[in-house]
Amino acid sequence: MTERGGFEGLDSCVHCGFCLQACPTFLATGDESDSPRGRIELMRALETGELAPADPGVALHLDRCLGCRGCEPVCPSGVSYGRGLEAARALLTERRGVPPLVRAALGALTGADVSRFVYAVARLLRASGLPRRLAAWNRLGFAMGMLAATAPKVGGGRRRSVEVGRGAPHSNLHHPAPSSTTSPVLLFRGCVMEGLFSHVHDATIRTLQVNGYEIREVPAQVCCGALHAHAGLRDEARRLAQTNVAAFGDDDTPIVVNSAGCGAMLKEYGHLVDTPAKGRAFAARVRDVSELLAERGPRPGAPLDMTVAYDPPCHLLHAQRIAEPPERMLRAIPVMRVISMPDAAQCCGSAGLFTLVEPAMSRAVLAPKLASLAEARPQVVATGNPGCLMQLGAGLAAAGVPATVRHPVELLDESYRGAGYYA
Amino acid sequence: MSWVDRVRALLGDDAVDVAATPDGVPRVAPGSPDAVALLLGTAREEGWRVRVEGAGTWLPVDAPADLALTTRRLDKVPAIEPQDLSATAEAGIACDLLRQQLADRGTWLALDPPGLAGRTLGSVVATATAGPLRHGFGPVRDHLLGVTFVTGDGRLVQSGGRVMKNVAGYDLTKLAAGGFGAFGVIVLVHLRLRALPRADQTLVLEGSREDLAQVAEDIAAAAVQPAAHELMSPALARRERWLLAVRFAGSAALVSAEEGALRAATGGRFTALRADEAHALWMRAAESFATRPVTFRVGALPDSSDELMDLLQHQVGDEWISASPGIGAIRWGGETTVDRLRRLRRTLAGLEVPLTLERAPWPVRAAVGHFGAYREGVGPLVAGLRRTFDPGEAFVVAVEGTE
Amino acid sequence: MTAGTATAERGGSLAAALGEIVGARHVRTALPERVTFARDGLPTHRHVPGVVVLPGSRDEVVAVVRLLAALGVPFVPRGAGTGLSGGALADDDAVLIVLTRLNRILAIDPVNRIAVVEPGVVNVRLSAAAAPHGLYYSPDPSSQTACTIGGNVAENAGGPHCLKYGVTATHVLGLEVVLADGQVVELGSPGGEPWGPDLVGLFVGSEGNFGIATRIRVRLLPVPRAIRTLLADFSALRTAGEAVSAVIASGIVPAALEMMDQSCINAVEDSVYAAGYPRDAAAVLLVELDGCREEAVAADADTIAGILRAHGARGVLSAADAKQRERLWQGRKKAFGAMGRLSRDLVVQDAVVPRSTLPDVLEAIGRIATAYGLTVSNVFHAGDGNLHPNISFDGRVPGLKARVDQASGEIMAVCIAAGGTITGEHGIGLDKLRYMPLIFDGDALAAMRAVRLVFDPLERVNPGKVVPIHACREWSGVRTHPGREPGDPRAGARGELSELAR
Repeated sequence: MTERGGFEGLDSCVHCGFCLQACPTFLATGDESDSPRGRIELMRALETGELAPADPGVALHLDRCLGCRGCEPVCPSGVSYGRGLEAARALLTERRGVPPLVRAALGALTGADVSRFVYAVARLLRASGLPRRLAAWNRLGFAMGMLAATAPKVGGGRRRSVEVGRGAPHSNLHHPAPSSTTSPVLLFRGCVMEGLFSHVHDATIRTLQVNGYEIREVPAQVCCGALHAHAGLRDEARRLAQTNVAAFGDDDTPIVVNSAGCGAMLKEYGHLVDTPAKGRAFAARVRDVSELLAERGPRPGAPLDMTVAYDPPCHLLHAQRIAEPPERMLRAIPVMRVISMPDAAQCCGSAGLFTLVEPAMSRAVLAPKLASLAEARPQVVATGNPGCLMQLGAGLAAAGVPATVRHPVELLDESYRGAGYYA
Repeated sequence: MSWVDRVRALLGDDAVDVAATPDGVPRVAPGSPDAVALLLGTAREEGWRVRVEGAGTWLPVDAPADLALTTRRLDKVPAIEPQDLSATAEAGIACDLLRQQLADRGTWLALDPPGLAGRTLGSVVATATAGPLRHGFGPVRDHLLGVTFVTGDGRLVQSGGRVMKNVAGYDLTKLAAGGFGAFGVIVLVHLRLRALPRADQTLVLEGSREDLAQVAEDIAAAAVQPAAHELMSPALARRERWLLAVRFAGSAALVSAEEGALRAATGGRFTALRADEAHALWMRAAESFATRPVTFRVGALPDSSDELMDLLQHQVGDEWISASPGIGAIRWGGETTVDRLRRLRRTLAGLEVPLTLERAPWPVRAAVGHFGAYREGVGPLVAGLRRTFDPGEAFVVAVEGTE
Repeated sequence: MTAGTATAERGGSLAAALGEIVGARHVRTALPERVTFARDGLPTHRHVPGVVVLPGSRDEVVAVVRLLAALGVPFVPRGAGTGLSGGALADDDAVLIVLTRLNRILAIDPVNRIAVVEPGVVNVRLSAAAAPHGLYYSPDPSSQTACTIGGNVAENAGGPHCLKYGVTATHVLGLEVVLADGQVVELGSPGGEPWGPDLVGLFVGSEGNFGIATRIRVRLLPVPRAIRTLLADFSALRTAGEAVSAVIASGIVPAALEMMDQSCINAVEDSVYAAGYPRDAAAVLLVELDGCREEAVAADADTIAGILRAHGARGVLSAADAKQRERLWQGRKKAFGAMGRLSRDLVVQDAVVPRSTLPDVLEAIGRIATAYGLTVSNVFHAGDGNLHPNISFDGRVPGLKARVDQASGEIMAVCIAAGGTITGEHGIGLDKLRYMPLIFDGDALAAMRAVRLVFDPLERVNPGKVVPIHACREWSGVRTHPGREPGDPRAGARGELSELAR
């Protein structure tokens, strides 16, 4: 932790306004208070004490920030907006506590015991097919749509297809990987990914194996803490981070993540944990699955005849600045058409718990993206983050757009399956 | 003391010429911007009605007034800056003299206004009369960096400057350009210049108006970018039929490339003119308008040019017409009546097309006005601006007409 | 009653009335929300508006303006707030009318190459929308990814490519304007020919003092088919300045001709917009040639490259493809934003000088910077002679701001002495009021004020900007302007707002 808790990252802002059009909430409201530049003004006033954390006008607009960090890559002065935001949110949370809805959601999604039950019920509900039919724009309908979006689309769906255990490499492959050397990697499983997207983990393991990686499990790992940090719960986030740093050991084995939100958080550990050097060392090991795959090509699979719109998650594109690797990954699938959407770099409005606590703004941010998807009519919208998958899936279902959402690694997995790499 | 004596006392003996004008209105020719200010300040105090003249070759010098103020002694060119491509000239300089001085320094003012060669610069600015080069280089205002003018109560007001960009304060230059002298007497003009084109080529094609209108469209569609692109009536072009004249000006590479593109787009139907032929064509066309009693311009959307020409032909005839179809600008010259002009203006207003009367004998100007009626809500603004710059109503200008 | 409570009370009832028009959620009265509107792109000025209102349509703008006229409340129009003169700031006694929600492109007419837009449309979005027709909107201020066309109209915005294609005024054909009293007036005509005196030309660049443009009709140009972008680097600022004059005098009009000095080059190269400018160059020139004929543009580019080399360029690089060209331009356009890397505070100037004086003026600026011990970075439209000296400093250092202001004043004096002006594209706003009497005499200033009074008799629209009233000579028009007779109920309405809003 720095002396000023992250606020120092805002110092270089000269108010040029080049961030405005990169901000989904500003685009939705046209209001400077909902823009990065306006929020920086608020954060600076919070730091100096000119405005009080208790002021509802401050909280409203900082709460309405998606934290997508779309403003960072366009900032010529390199303002560290995300870090400033977490500092500001920590001040707000210190003053007013955590809103009950956020607290409940955090418990349900990340709490060690509660979440296991919640996810089990959710999977049962999902299996009933009910959520798919109930998907709509209202609060319940949207939640149902989100749940439906987590369902595996073809094959897979097995709860846990592979063995768990540190040091025990998975070996369900009949064909050895093309590369002569195999490198070990540690899989970060997370909470939502583990609870609702285990099929994506399976796909991750299989596709990495095809490309010469040997996946090892880390049993003592916990939630990455992103949702806590975004909610201003720095201490809880720090505790989780420290647990993870300890769990993953201190060698230099890469840590693979398939959730952009988790990946972005893990890469920030250097600014969070008590021993920054350890945090930085940990962060340096974290790799998105697309990065690892792109490094090895990846190996081409069998053709998939479909049209895919790739929607880069903000926490991959803006926070981690990973643009090219997912596209390389998709290009490894012959025949498949990847169309580029003009507003692909815009946030979908998911933003962790944002979609639950700020539904109106979240839907307003989602609307333009849905409109252009409805026009482009892809069969699949691919995105590498659980929140985005659920948000886009629910939105597409509610809007009646006949496209499914998939993690890019699922598509590669399907292509590999077709190629017989898993036979 | 008679007013003539007062003016002589103010400006010197040689500034007043009592019997020079055809209608016997005494003519005063101040020799400096300050003298203009002094004269108009006195006019305001005395309640004199003043008409402003340049060389007297464009607008007839026939407005009823107590005295005529001519800018013809304001004929200095204080600065020509080839390195900056700018110049400062007094308003009374004749266009042809200015053009020569600019050419001597390798520079060019890309304006080819209608009228005689000796027309003053101030007259071109005040009436905003641009010629065929408006197609490639824009209207008069695009060539102005700044203007100094004297208001009806004798204040010297400078606006703009001599640099290429200037947003200091409101842009009063825009009021002076095309204000027909209603807001002041233009005394000094800062101009944006271009380098004298290394190559200058005019090509022409004769044909029916309909045929040439189609060719003009083809040229636009092929993204040919001429300096001028003018459709001229037979009388104006001194040809049997209508003439489409296309002029390219710039570097040799540019002109030859554009010429090639023109030929490609139109199947090589155009004939290239020799330099002297081209010069004669453009000059005669410009001068022809000074020989007609009435000229006006209309500005419309490019795709309605053809329709407007039909309308003009129907209502006032189409003997003397010069049009830039690419930008929807048409200039008409000829003989017509107050009633016809009013009717035409009403018809055009219904199509959202303004008709600006450029020149006509005083009775026609007084009745029809340079602008006629404005769009709703604009009249009070113009009236307010006139009161601001000419509180004593010293200037005799037929702005709105009497309808 | 203190001034503060009067404001709050007025804010309350006024906000309710505004809320009736635009919906309560589009009216901002809370201090934090108003604070976010307290600055524009020039952070040195800070004015917290009394109320912020975000109308969503032309009719709402009209209704808001009429309400404020009836109450005698001053107001300030604002676009994206990227202006660089403190022009879009409102004080506590005024309402800020934010036009970002009026962001629809109403029409694109590819045949006549015209577009009609609402004022809140962002500059680049218009070009993007016109692109399928092979057209674009030419004025390209560096803030074009954020600034609005309404703001461009108010400021008569420029940009690198104005050198060849002209500033905003050249491209605006017509305007629908809401005057101070709420009257809606159409200026100009569909084809662009003035309808009467050129009130469109007068309105453009009036910095919001004449009313609010609610519809803007602009000219579109065909996208150039051939483009060459050259990057020339120089080992001395002076030779770069001389090369500019040589290019201008050549008779070839580049589409753009931009200069950046070393300090600026390094700030850009440190940023995400790193363009590959040589860090060891004292200055670089970015020269672009464009047109519809490949062979002509290529020939002109060769000529220009030769001129640059003959005038001391160490090297001339030609962008290999569209991607490299885009990178070279992004670096230039984001240079102002990258100034935050040098120091936390920034003063930017906007003087224009005759192009032939550039070498001397640049040297003089360098001497002033040295004398005051300040970092001055130059990034500017060299082809127009439009300088943007940026002074980076840390406002927390005691006394430094005063030194910066003094140095700014001296830089301005040098530019004026060279025959220049105090602003080429940023406008006067608040920031340059103090320089106005240096270039205009009392009559010229009084004439400007008198014109403003024709549009806004009570000086309620964007009060306190552009014309320094104390420096105006007395003007008959000011004393007897129309519509404000003694006993006019609107006269003196200001200052009794809480009374009226009850």
